[in-house]
Amino acid sequence: MTKQVGGEYKGFYKAMPAPGAIVLLVLFLVPLFFTLSSAFLTEEGFSFSRIRQTFTSAYTVRILLFTLYQAALSTLFSVLVALPGAYLLANYSFRGRRFIKALTTVPFVIPSILVVLGFVIFFGNNGFLNRLLMKIFSLDKPPIQILYSFKAIILAHTFFNFPIVMNLVSTYWEHMDTHCEMAAWTLGAKKWETFRSITLPRLLPSVISAATLVFLFCYNSFAIILVLGGGPQYTTMEVEIYRLARTSMDIGGAAALSLFSILVTSVLLVWYNKSQKMLARSEAYNTSSTRLPKKPATLTGKLLAFFYSLVTLLFILGPLVSIVVRSFMASSTRSGTESFSFKWYAQLFALERGTGHMGSALEALTNSLLIASLVAIVTVPIALTLATAIRKKGFASSALELFGMLPMTVSSVIIGLGYFLISNSIRGGVSVGYTLVVLAHMVIAIPFVLRTILPEYRKMPLSYIQSSLTLGASPLRTFFLIEIPLLKGALITGGMFAFALSMGEITATLTLANSAIITLPVIMYRLIGSYNFQGACALGSILILVCSIVFLVSELAKGENNGR
Amino acid sequence: MADKGLICTMKASYADFALDTSFTVKEGELACIIGPSGCGKSTTLQLIAGLITPEEGSIFLNGKDIINESVHERHIAMVFQDYALFPHMSVAQNIAYPMKLRHMPKIQRTAEVKRLLALVSLDGYQKRKPQELSGGERQRVALARALASQPQLLLLDEPLSALDAKLRKHLRTEIRRIHEETGITTLYVTHDQEEAFSIADTIIVMQEGRVGQIGSGEEIYHKPNSLFVASFMGEGNTLPYSLIPRNLATQPGMTKEVFKPLEGEHTIFFRPEHVTIQDDVQLPLPEFFPHLEFKNAQVVGCEFQGDHFRVSLLWEGHPIIAHALDRPRSAIVRLSVRIGKMREFLDGQLVRN
Repeated sequence: MTKQVGGEYKGFYKAMPAPGAIVLLVLFLVPLFFTLSSAFLTEEGFSFSRIRQTFTSAYTVRILLFTLYQAALSTLFSVLVALPGAYLLANYSFRGRRFIKALTTVPFVIPSILVVLGFVIFFGNNGFLNRLLMKIFSLDKPPIQILYSFKAIILAHTFFNFPIVMNLVSTYWEHMDTHCEMAAWTLGAKKWETFRSITLPRLLPSVISAATLVFLFCYNSFAIILVLGGGPQYTTMEVEIYRLARTSMDIGGAAALSLFSILVTSVLLVWYNKSQKMLARSEAYNTSSTRLPKKPATLTGKLLAFFYSLVTLLFILGPLVSIVVRSFMASSTRSGTESFSFKWYAQLFALERGTGHMGSALEALTNSLLIASLVAIVTVPIALTLATAIRKKGFASSALELFGMLPMTVSSVIIGLGYFLISNSIRGGVSVGYTLVVLAHMVIAIPFVLRTILPEYRKMPLSYIQSSLTLGASPLRTFFLIEIPLLKGALITGGMFAFALSMGEITATLTLANSAIITLPVIMYRLIGSYNFQGACALGSILILVCSIVFLVSELAKGENNGR
Repeated sequence: MADKGLICTMKASYADFALDTSFTVKEGELACIIGPSGCGKSTTLQLIAGLITPEEGSIFLNGKDIINESVHERHIAMVFQDYALFPHMSVAQNIAYPMKLRHMPKIQRTAEVKRLLALVSLDGYQKRKPQELSGGERQRVALARALASQPQLLLLDEPLSALDAKLRKHLRTEIRRIHEETGITTLYVTHDQEEAFSIADTIIVMQEGRVGQIGSGEEIYHKPNSLFVASFMGEGNTLPYSLIPRNLATQPGMTKEVFKPLEGEHTIFFRPEHVTIQDDVQLPLPEFFPHLEFKNAQVVGCEFQGDHFRVSLLWEGHPIIAHALDRPRSAIVRLSVRIGKMREFLDGQLVRN
């Protein structure tokens, strides 16, 4: 039986997503068009030569293989590190469990530039971990020397991504009912046998889905590779596009490589979508948790839980805390010992004349706050109106959903490149540049906001809307009186998400405007580049503060939603 | 022509089934649509509410064709299966919602909410949230909210299906009482025949997108016009005509041939409570009206039902169910069914003599 809102409203529900769709189309397709035209147009006119050259060159293949290799390795480590944690979180109750669980959502909102900075400050030769180890074991050389190497990339990716796997898998695991396991036990299976033959296969869809997501993140990773890779021998597709466009000034080559990257990402996304569908289909998911977490029984269990929590804490919080601590430290002389100081904050807020890049820190901060606010305010309504149409079943809505997710196939670098090409042809002033940054951030944020709103929207029973209509409310009033209030939590979370995304966005911003436009992450990147780590830490602390607020608000909004 | 009430004729086709219904509900009447799942009863309700549109047809409500009106202009309220109480509103806000849409002043709204809550026996529930209510309470709030929109027609889509048996019985009495107090024309969808019998003035039996029979509960039960209606509305026995015993036991002087054999699938149907069991083969049947006799029926099972026994029998390889007041005392028994209690069907349709 078809259950849909009546024919006479089809016009209304068709009109709803149109403005959002048009905006997204323009924002997404215009820069893409500019990119593609650069790939196909040479001095002699339209030609495939550049494409053919890029697609078949051994160099491209090498970069692709390296990109895939590092992503695969990072994903593997993330999953391996995360699985025991997911097991602990899903099956046991222990002190700090909820805190750890909340911490695992941090990487969803943390900007990559913070990861880079935290990594340098925490794992660097002069970092906190090395200092700690040197003190404990009284060594005179730092035991961990991994900065600016392949290992650093993998380690940073693992540190950044294992909490994501832990979060997704443990949430799924928690909601998996234990009836099947109990049935297996009563049928005579031993504990390990049950785990291997029942629990693991039921869990697999969530592991695959989480791993695919991490793989995508690592494939598109930019700042980590750019800074921590420390050289052209470790270059990925993303970084190479950026280098070609902004360092070698080979726009055509960058555009051709972008096209190649879009094709690869599309394949990955199709796979990701498939894994998501598999996850949705698996009946194991039960919205009301039936699993009763028990306390670890044995001493080994207790120790393991404690040890694992400690490591998680150290890995997630360590780098972040280091950033904050380091921001309050300054050396009085060039070689002198470091002591507590507000120096960097004084420079940041222009109370003291800043040197070097610190001079424009305040401008960068206000820029970032302004851009992020604009992005959040504009993105949420666009995503909401798109969601009204996508939530329905049917061909048109799934086509629209695919369209809404389209910007995901195109990495931030490529979006940045497209807008860079636009700005080249417009040649407007700085204000045009800032507008382009806002637009680029919007394109990046819309799919994420859509992903936040859509599940909540789909959870809303159609009967709410139908009964509002039968009670005499027009579709528009139903939308404002019923749908929007019910989605409030998701809308706030989505807006916060867009804000955080824009605040921490560096990839597209850097590609779009190398020097003309400064945002908080861009200045941080430059400070790191000029080895002014404390200055970067001060800015990083501000970014951490903003992200924490975002994180808190979205958690609160989530709690509100659970109340119903 | 009766102007008041609901007169509808609708056609709609979908991928897996077609709907073609036509029926009338008199003003102030409570009609039940009943049928097996997938027969189109909920679709019918949604068509009347305007939630889906038919390909062709007309819906006259109190003399006006509303087929082209939007859902929110139809003055038809609907209670949904899951009640659809808005979770972000309190009970009072939920009930006041339709009044607010009509710009009723606040004081009047408050009074009206109080009156409606009293009507559904939930005084003092204004401040509660829907998620704090039990299933039965939610159902009543949903009913109060539907009534608050002052509908000309009230639609109830299996309103009791999510509740347990005891509460169901209580609430259906309540719904009947509220119906009598408000007098609103009501269309009630259910799949439970007992519910339909106890609550409805008129029962509309649906089968595969079509109306099978319309009538009062007694008519439907005792005079079903098709084998489908007969066996859907209560338990029954079906026997092929060819097996009808040759030796029809009658009072002396009465005709022996009652049934004329017909071409096609010719069956007879009778209810279990009309089967009389004689468990002493030596004794005559305590029957003076023309009746059929089934000799040597084998007792295969006997279930105690409280006020009667449900006896499963096997006669010439055919199962027969009988309701008896006493447990049969022998394994082989004699059965009788009055001719007047039997219905004769040809290819599923009633044979009218």
